[in-house]
Amino acid sequence: MKLGRRHFLRGTAGALVALPLLDSLQVRAQMAATPRRLVLMYTPNGTIQSAWWPKNVTGPTSFDLNTTLTPLEAHKSRLTILGGVDLSVTGVGPGGPHQRGIGALFTGRELQEGKFVDGCGANAGWANGVSIDQVVATAVGASVPIKSLELAARCTQADVQARISYAGPGNPLPPMNTPLEVFNRLFANLDVPVNLAAQVIAKRKSVLDTVQEQYGILKKQVSSNDATKLERHLDLVRDLEARLTASASGGAVCAKPATPSEQDPEGEAEMPEIVRLHFEFLALAFACDLTRVGSVQISNALNRIRYPWLGSLGSGHTLSHSGDNDVAATQEVVTRHTWHAQMLAHFMDSLGAIAEGEGSALDNTLVVWCSEVSKGNLHTLVNMPFLVAGTLGGRVPGGRYMEYGAVPHSQLLLSILHAFDVPDTSFGHPDFAKGDLPGFLA
Amino acid sequence: MSRPSAPLLVSLLSLLSGLAAGCQTEAPPPEEPLPTEPQVLSQVDCQVGPVPGEAPARLLTRSAYENSVADILGDTSHPAAAFPPENQMLGFNNNAEAHQASPLLVSEMLNAAEGIAARTVSAKLDEIAPCPTGATVECGAAFIRTVGERLFRRPLTLEEEQVFSRLFAATLATDSYANAVSVVLQAMLQSPQFLYRIESVRPKAVESAPALLGPYEMATRLSYFLTDSAPDPELLQAASSDALSTPLAVEAQVRRLLQQPRARAMVANFHGQWLGTGELGRIVREDPVLSLPANFGTLLASSLQAFTDSMFWEKGTFDSLFNSNELFLDKQLGPVFGHTPTTDGFTAFPEPEQRFGLLTQPALMVALAHPNQTAPVFRGVFVREHFLCSDVPPPPPNLNAVAPDPDPKATTRERFKQHTASATCAACHTLIDPLGFGFENYDQLGRFRTQENGLPVDSTGAMNGFAEEGLNGPFVGPKELAARISSSTSARDCLVTQWWRYAAGRSETAADLCSLAPIQQDFRQTGALPEVLVKIALSDAFRYRAPYVRNPGGAP
Repeated sequence: MKLGRRHFLRGTAGALVALPLLDSLQVRAQMAATPRRLVLMYTPNGTIQSAWWPKNVTGPTSFDLNTTLTPLEAHKSRLTILGGVDLSVTGVGPGGPHQRGIGALFTGRELQEGKFVDGCGANAGWANGVSIDQVVATAVGASVPIKSLELAARCTQADVQARISYAGPGNPLPPMNTPLEVFNRLFANLDVPVNLAAQVIAKRKSVLDTVQEQYGILKKQVSSNDATKLERHLDLVRDLEARLTASASGGAVCAKPATPSEQDPEGEAEMPEIVRLHFEFLALAFACDLTRVGSVQISNALNRIRYPWLGSLGSGHTLSHSGDNDVAATQEVVTRHTWHAQMLAHFMDSLGAIAEGEGSALDNTLVVWCSEVSKGNLHTLVNMPFLVAGTLGGRVPGGRYMEYGAVPHSQLLLSILHAFDVPDTSFGHPDFAKGDLPGFLA
Repeated sequence: MSRPSAPLLVSLLSLLSGLAAGCQTEAPPPEEPLPTEPQVLSQVDCQVGPVPGEAPARLLTRSAYENSVADILGDTSHPAAAFPPENQMLGFNNNAEAHQASPLLVSEMLNAAEGIAARTVSAKLDEIAPCPTGATVECGAAFIRTVGERLFRRPLTLEEEQVFSRLFAATLATDSYANAVSVVLQAMLQSPQFLYRIESVRPKAVESAPALLGPYEMATRLSYFLTDSAPDPELLQAASSDALSTPLAVEAQVRRLLQQPRARAMVANFHGQWLGTGELGRIVREDPVLSLPANFGTLLASSLQAFTDSMFWEKGTFDSLFNSNELFLDKQLGPVFGHTPTTDGFTAFPEPEQRFGLLTQPALMVALAHPNQTAPVFRGVFVREHFLCSDVPPPPPNLNAVAPDPDPKATTRERFKQHTASATCAACHTLIDPLGFGFENYDQLGRFRTQENGLPVDSTGAMNGFAEEGLNGPFVGPKELAARISSSTSARDCLVTQWWRYAAGRSETAADLCSLAPIQQDFRQTGALPEVLVKIALSDAFRYRAPYVRNPGGAP
C-alpha cells in the first residue's frame, strides 16, 4: 500500500505512528530532484557461508535465496548478492582481523598505527580514510538538517572495533544507541510553530556566531597542533549552524512519531525493540528529508552478546568461532543472521510504504550490508558477504547474484559512489584502486 | 623531584624494553626462542633538563564536563548524558589523541548548553548574575567576568570579554535580563576555552626549551587529574598569585585535593577504566541452582570498587592490592559466594587460600568469562595487557588454516588445547592460554571451584614471552600465579604506567620515561599507592611542557 497525504507507519509494538506529509514537502519533493539515499548496515563476526550464498544457481539472475536471506524473499528483485569480493586492503597495515575488517569495510583503507587492543592482543588505530557514506552525504545531503545519522544497537564501546563510519582518516563517527536520543535529535522540535522556530533559530545563530568568534580569538594563540584540532571542531560548529535553517523547513512539514520509552542501550531484552526503532526512525527521517544518509550497526566486532528473544544464549564472538561441525552453534549463528535479514526486510517495507514521485522511497535508497569478517571461525577477509538492497531508480539492477572471483572491495565502494554520481575515479587505498566493479551498475 | 642521575639512563633503557619493546616486537614463530634482549627504542638524555612530552589540547570528557558544570553552576542533572562515549585508547577515555569532536557531540553540546543555561537562570540568576540596580549591561559585564573566569579556568582576555558583552547587550536590547544571561552562558559552554584544556599558548618570547606550565594551566592540570573537575576558587587564587611554580606549592595542593570527595570518585573512575568494569553492566548470568540478583554485573562492579577503594585509601599499598584475600560483598551478593553480610553496604570477607588479590576478584573473573563457561583467552590477554603492560603480537593476516572443531562436551581446558596444537595459532595463544588456565579455579560467576562437571579442575599453567625473565615458566594454580605477578617489577611498573597514562591523558613517549622511570623505581621499593599520584604531579612531565610551536595561521 502506498501512503498518501496523511499516512501511517507501523511503529513501536504495533502502534500506529502518524506521519502527515504536508503540501510543502510534496512541493519540495517535486521541485528538487528526487532525494537519493544511502544506508550502511553492519552485523558482526561474519556469517555461516553454507546458509548465506545462493542455492540452485544456474545464472546471475537465476538462483534461490539461502536460509539466511529468506526474510528478504519478497524483495528478491531488489537484491544484489556479490560473491568473490575481498577486503584485499586488510593485507596492509596493523591490527587483528576484526579490527582490519571493520576498519576497511566502508573506507577501503588500512588501519593507522595505534593502541587499540583486539581480543588476541593485536594493536591498531583508526581506519586511515573517509567512509563511502560520508562521501555520499557530502554529495547528496548538503541541504538537509542532519548530514548523516549513525545508529547502533548495543555498541556503546568506543574503539576501532565499534566504528564503521569515518569523516576522514582517524576521524570515526560515533553512533547513537538510544532511540529516545535519536527521537529528540530528529523530531523534538518538529511541532514548534514556524514563527517560534524562527526565533529559536535566530537565537541559536547568535550564540553560535559568538562561539565562532571565540574560536577565532583562541586559534591565534594556540600551537600548531592545537590549531588543527580547534579548526576541525570549528568546522563542525559552522556546519551545525548552516543546517539550522534546514531544520526549520523540516520542522514545518513533519509530525512527531510516538515518543519512545527510555531504554537501557545495553539491555539485551531491549535490543530487538531498539533495532526496530532505529530502522523505523531512519525511514521517518528519510520521509521527512531530515537526512539522506544513515547507518545501522548491530553491536560491534568481537561482541559477546546474546539474542535471548531468539533463544540464542551463546556469546556472539565465541559462537562465531565454533567449528563447522558444531551443528547447534552454527544454527544459532544462522538464526541471528536470519533475524538481521528480517530487520532489513522490515526497513525495506517501511521505505516501500513512503510514496515518492511515481514510486516509493525504497526506489531511491541503496542499502549496503556486510560483516567485518566472512567466515567467523577463520577470520576470513575474502569472499565477503556483501549484499546490496534497493535499485536506486534502476542504477543497480536487482535480482542478481554476481560472482567476481577475487576482486578488491574498493571496486564495489567506487561503484557505489558512482551510483550517486560522485565523480571520483578512485576510492580507498591506491594499491587496490582497480576502477569500477564491472557490471554492478546498469 | 630530583632529576634522574647518570646511571639511570641505562636502567631507563631496560625499562623501555619492558614497557614498550614487548608490545612492539613482531610475532615470533613458535619454534624460535622468544625475545629476551632489551630493545632500545630511542636514546633520550634525561640529564639535559626537563624533557616533557607533548601538551595537546584536551577535550573535556563527559564526566569532566558534568563535574565542572556541577561545581561552577550547581547543575547536577547529568547534562552530558546524550554525548557519545569518548573514544578509548589504552583503556582510558581521556586520551587527548582519541577523544575528539564529532557532529553528534557538537549537536548534543548545543542542546546541553541550552538546558544548563535555562536551569541556571531559572534557579539561581541572583546568585550568578546579581543585579540589584536593575537589568544593566554593567551587571552583565560582571557576570561575564566572574562566571567566565570559572568556566575558562582563567581570567578572560579583554577581547574574549568584549565578544560576550556584545552578545549580552544585543540580547538585552530586545529580550529579558535572564535571557541575556542565558545566551551568554550558552555561548560560554560551547566556547573552546571551556571545552578544551589548552596548555600551550603563544608565549611573549620565542621558546627554545621546555617551559614550566603557566599557573592557570597548572591549576587546571592538577584539578582535572585529581578531581576530574574545574579548579576550585582556592586553586584559581593560587594561580592568580603565581603560587604554583614550586614543587612544594604543588605538593600542598595535591594533598589538599586528594582529601576532596571528587578525588575518591576520580580514583574509582581510574580503577573502573583500568579494570574495564564498564563491561559488567552488559553481562548476563543465569545459574540453574542459584537465583542471582538481577543486577549481578553492576553489583560486582560495586564490589570491586569497594575492594580497590579499600586497598588504595585504607591499606594504601601495591602489596595489599595484589595480595589481599578479601572479598567485598553486600546482602545481595553474599549468598552467591557463601557469605552472609549482616549490615548494609559492602563488608570485607577474607577467603584465605581462595582469593589472591585484585587478579582473583569475582568482578574480573566474571567480566572475563562467557555466560556459561570460563574464558582463559580473555583472562590471559587481560592480565598481560592491563597488569603487565605487555602486548601480544597479532595473528598473521589472512590466516588460512583449517578451523578447529572442538568437542563441545569436552572441558574448557580440553577445548582450548586446539589453540596450541596448531602452529599458526600457537604463536599467539602460547602467550595467552597457559596464563589464562591459572584462573580455572574461578567459574563464570567468579566463585572458587575445585571441580568442573565432576572432574577436578586443572589450574596449572605457564607464563611465556615476558621480557622480565622471572615471570616466565610454569606455575601451579592461582596462588603461585598471583604471587609471581605481584612480586614482579613488571606489575609494579605497569601500575605506575597506567596511572601516568590516566594522569597525562595520553600515551607515554620515550621522553616521558625520564619522569616515569624514577617514579617506577621508587614504587618498586615502597609500593605506596596514593604517593604515586603525588609523584606524578611533581614530575617534570607533569609540571613542564614542550616548547610552543607557532601555528602558521596564528598571531605573529
